[in-house]
Amino acid sequence: MELGKIKQLLDAYFEGNTSLADEKILKDYFNNETVAEELLQYQPIFMGLKAAKAEQSTRVFSLGEPETKTIKGWWYSVAAALVVAFGIGTLYFTQPQYTQEEKEALAAFEKSKEAMLLLSENLNKGAERLTFVEQFETSKDKVFE
Amino acid sequence: MEKTEFITLVMPFKDKLYRLAKRILVSKDEAEDAVQEVFLKLWKGKQNIANYKNPEAFAITMTKNYCLDRLKSKQASNLKIVHSNYQTSENVEKNIEANDGVAMVFRIMETLPEQQRIVLQLRDVEQFEFSEIAKILESNETAVRVALSRARKTVRDAMIKNYNYGIG
Repeated sequence: MELGKIKQLLDAYFEGNTSLADEKILKDYFNNETVAEELLQYQPIFMGLKAAKAEQSTRVFSLGEPETKTIKGWWYSVAAALVVAFGIGTLYFTQPQYTQEEKEALAAFEKSKEAMLLLSENLNKGAERLTFVEQFETSKDKVFE
Repeated sequence: MEKTEFITLVMPFKDKLYRLAKRILVSKDEAEDAVQEVFLKLWKGKQNIANYKNPEAFAITMTKNYCLDRLKSKQASNLKIVHSNYQTSENVEKNIEANDGVAMVFRIMETLPEQQRIVLQLRDVEQFEFSEIAKILESNETAVRVALSRARKTVRDAMIKNYNYGIG
């Protein structure tokens, strides 16, 4: 690569007007060719930029934790929702269901049961009084014997 | 998306993310932590990553934002002493592995403003097109060119100064 071209590219480089291809020419020149003495001061820049790309990390990056965590949390909420839904469902379906007609019939039945109870109570009161009649009978027998 | 699928998608640009993180945060450990954090975030949002046309650019933007946030919170708290400790140990490392001139370039790059550092890293180290860099930085090509030119000139001027001292 002729010196004039390199100098021209260098000027454009510092103005930010070089293409990636131009910059590759510069990098190759300063890294691989015998650099002209007047340009030696620029050499470390391009050597440094090339060296910077070789840098790597040896650490092993992991994706471990968050995956299991998020999946577990998700399942917990699903399980909880299912249990609640099941509980409400069973409660709802085990309740006896009556139609309007049946409800009315049931109410009528309760009322008549109450009435019958009242009746039998009064009847019992009457039956209690009958013991006096019985007593009267035995006393009468004693007298008129 | 399966784990293996995700890894084959993300692993090719793992080193690019690491280098960018290290350029911004300087410390090797912090850069690795940052990449790990970005990977977890990407993995959590893996349904989205497939929708992006360019997962690499997306991951780089994410890394840049994360590192700048880290830097901000670090400056807010009192971790500066730890930070400068890291710097010296890093520089010793560099001096061993490269010659003094190259180490000098790295040192100068550390003194650049963050945006210029990021532009220089993406263009001169990773060779991205201006349009890609503009997208990654949510900026425009002209602004990228200006920042890049400034960064390159700062490095040049500092190197020439250093070179002339060396000669004289």
